[in-house]
Parts: sequence; structure tokens; C-alpha cells
Amino acid sequence: MREILRLSITLAVIAILSASLLTGMESITEPIIRERRHEEFLKTLQDFFPEVDDYETEEIEGDQYNIIYDSDDEIIGIMAATETTGYGGTINYYLAVNREGEIIGIRIISHSETPGIGDVITADGFQEQFIGKSYEDPIEAGEDVDIVSGATESTGSMIDSISRVVNTIAEYFLGQGGGSIDFSAIPDGVYRGSVDGTDGILTVEVEIVSGMLERIDILEQNETDTYFIEAYPLVPELIIEKQALDIDTRTGATLSSERIVSAVKTALPGSTGDNGGDGLSE
Amino acid sequence: MNESNIYLQDLTRGIVKENPVFRLLLGLCPVLGVTAFFVNGLGMGLAATAVLISSNLVISIIKGFIPQRVRIPCFIVIIATFVTVIEMVLEAFQPDLHEALGVFVPLIVVNCVILGRAEAFASRRPVLRSLLDGIGVGLGFTLALGILSFVREVAGQGTILGPDAESAVHLFGPVFEPMGIFAQPPGAFIALGILVALTNVLFKRFKID
Repeated sequence: MREILRLSITLAVIAILSASLLTGMESITEPIIRERRHEEFLKTLQDFFPEVDDYETEEIEGDQYNIIYDSDDEIIGIMAATETTGYGGTINYYLAVNREGEIIGIRIISHSETPGIGDVITADGFQEQFIGKSYEDPIEAGEDVDIVSGATESTGSMIDSISRVVNTIAEYFLGQGGGSIDFSAIPDGVYRGSVDGTDGILTVEVEIVSGMLERIDILEQNETDTYFIEAYPLVPELIIEKQALDIDTRTGATLSSERIVSAVKTALPGSTGDNGGDGLSE
Repeated sequence: MNESNIYLQDLTRGIVKENPVFRLLLGLCPVLGVTAFFVNGLGMGLAATAVLISSNLVISIIKGFIPQRVRIPCFIVIIATFVTVIEMVLEAFQPDLHEALGVFVPLIVVNCVILGRAEAFASRRPVLRSLLDGIGVGLGFTLALGILSFVREVAGQGTILGPDAESAVHLFGPVFEPMGIFAQPPGAFIALGILVALTNVLFKRFKID
């Protein structure tokens, strides 16, 4: 018993001494580390947006979005601090997007990709492919930007992540793409739009009355009946109720729901539907 | 053997004759893991040396208080403390190196060179000898990492003092096609194998032992 007590006390004393040493060191180094990270962040901010005057940070789905203002309090762009999982571990990076929604820069903060193979993501040649692309451009791996052979995982996950972040920025901060269409800016009238559906085109007619979305009719559709019944009339009702296009799509009828939404988007003038607007005003 | 001779021996033994990497093949995990660039290899060596010296010193000082039956947990706690201190210092003052060494800094805790010296040397010897032993073995470890990472960076990247683009010196001009395998883990084994063989040849040739 006495022996066990002696062993425990020795261990406890050593642990306590270690802990106090570590606490002391932590209190010395922690402010320096925090300060340095912040400086790095500000420097990156200034590299991408030389006219930055102020910024505020918002967090969406675990990523940090820094909204950059110039001296006139105008938004000049967004810098996202985000991460993705590459081949060797987490890749942390900044993605800067200007007011028009175009990528103006990528900076890898940290990564653990294979030296000589996966670390191609830090190379200018890989990153330059993205510069100037916007949320409207398709960023499709292997088509619009090159996957580097041998580094499929590293480059592929970067491409996917960048494409996602750009769309999030356009949707949340630049009022484009996605759900935030300003109906009050659209003149009253009846508009039509079509998108390609499962077995043919899907056409909707929408009516705007004094800045409000009043009516959504499906003029033509060739969707699978069992799925379409899930999406219609519920999806149009939801859109009208919310006065926004970022509704939750119906489980089991995701495709049909999304098609209705994008057809409405296509119909409205000045919107940015993926299929190119062919809305007609009456 | 007179007294100063012992001390000199403690200091130099670890550098060449019992070099932890080339002669004893100890602590190979960081040796293989972080030696793609010379700067990183050297940084790793110095970090491990700092931990080794501190742990040797402290363990030698308190060896009288540590009961035999719990000595290994005590050593590990002490080593882990110094490793964490080093990690915090690196992150605060050498962020690029900290980033490059990554998970290998916390892994110094289980580096068998350090625990080996604590168990085999510092826990049985006087303070000064343990200190000298820590310095010597640490230098030997750093030397080995430096040589290995030098070879790997020159062969695998064609540069020296990378990966920081500002300090990197390209040695062979643009036509040189680096041997990419040396930058990767298999290349670490190959380079280490060649260097160990070379050391053995030299030791035989000059009859050191």
C-alpha cells in the first residue's frame, strides 16, 4: 500500500510540475501565435484587395467568409478561409473573389500533400487556371480546369472545393446565383422559362405583380409522374410563400424540384440561370 | 582513463562512433519523414536535440526521486513536456518550420533516441555526463538528418535551402530534371540505405570501432 502511494505521488508531482511549466509557456507563446496568424491573414487580405479598408467575418457551414469593404463602405470582394480534404490530410486555403464573382486569387495556408506530387496544388500553374473564373463558369474537373495526373485526389478535391466556395459566395454575398433573386427589381409581367427535363423540356410561366412573385404555372413537363407529383404543386407554393428560390428540395424528387426552381430562375429577366435565360415578357 | 577523457568521450561518442541514425538506426521515423528538404531536416534535428538535452538534464537531476517501477511513465511525461514546449516555441517563432515538420514534432515524444538515452544513460549517470551525452547524441542526430536531407533535396528537387521560394537556390539550371523519387518516402529509404552502406565502408576502411 505504502509503495503504491509512493509511486502515485511521484507520478502526480511530475505531472503537476509538467502542467505548470506548460501553462506558463502557453501563456507566453499563445498571444504571439495569435498575433502572427492575424498578421498573415491581413497581409493576404492586402495582397488580394489592395484597397481594403475594413472587413467583417461571417461563418457559413463551418467556413469563414470575410467581406471586404473599401473606404467608401462598398463591398469590393470576399475572401473565404476554408478547407478541404486532400490525399494527405486537410488543405487549408484562402479563396479571394471580387465583386463580380470572379476568382482573383488562391492561397494555400497549409496542406499535407505528397511532396513532388500532390503539392502541385500550391504551384502557380495549377492555381492560375482558376483566376478570372466566376460562379457562372462551369468549374468542372478535367474539362475546365486540369486534374494533374498522379495527383488526382489532391487537385480534384481542390477543384470541387473551390467550385463550392465560389457558388456559396455568389449566393450569400453577391446576391447572384442560388436563391437570392430580388423580385422587387423585376418589372410586373408574365414571364416564361424552360429547362431540359428527364424526357423533354419543362416550361414554367411566372407572374410578377408589384414586385412579388404571384403565380407559377407549369406549362409543359415530361418528368416521371411518380416523382413529379412530389414536387408539384408543393415546390411552386414554397417559392411563392418564401419569395425566394432557395427552398429545400423535395426528397425523392430532387431533380424535378431543382428543375422547377431553375426554370423559374431562367424565366426571370436579369437572373443567372445555368441554362441561359430565354424568358419572354408579355 | 582520466576524468576529462570520459567527458570528451561522452560528448563525441554520439556524433560519429555511435551515431544514432547511421550506426544504431534509431529514431528513423522522423529521419525518413521530414528529410525531403535540408532546412526541414536540420530543423527537426535541432528540435530533437533541444528535447534530448533538456530531458537528459532533468532526468539525470531527479533520477534519485523516481521509483524504478514507474520510471518509464515519468520519462515519457518529462519528454512530452519538453516536446510540447518546443512545439509552442516553434509555432510562435518559426512558423514555417513548424508547418513543415507537422506531425513529426509531437512524434518526438516517442522518438526512441530520446527515450533510449534517458533510460540507458541519463537515469544512471551524473548530471554533467548526461548533459554532454545529450549534446553529443543530439548533434549526431542532427548531422545525420542534415546529410540525408541535403542528399535528398539536391537529388530530388535540384535545389538547396527550399522549399521557401525566396531562399531556394537552384543548383543545376533549368535543364536539370530532378529525380523525383528522392523527394518521396521510398527515396528516403534508398538514400538512407546508401548512406548507411557508405558509413560502414568508411568505418571499415579507417578501422574505426
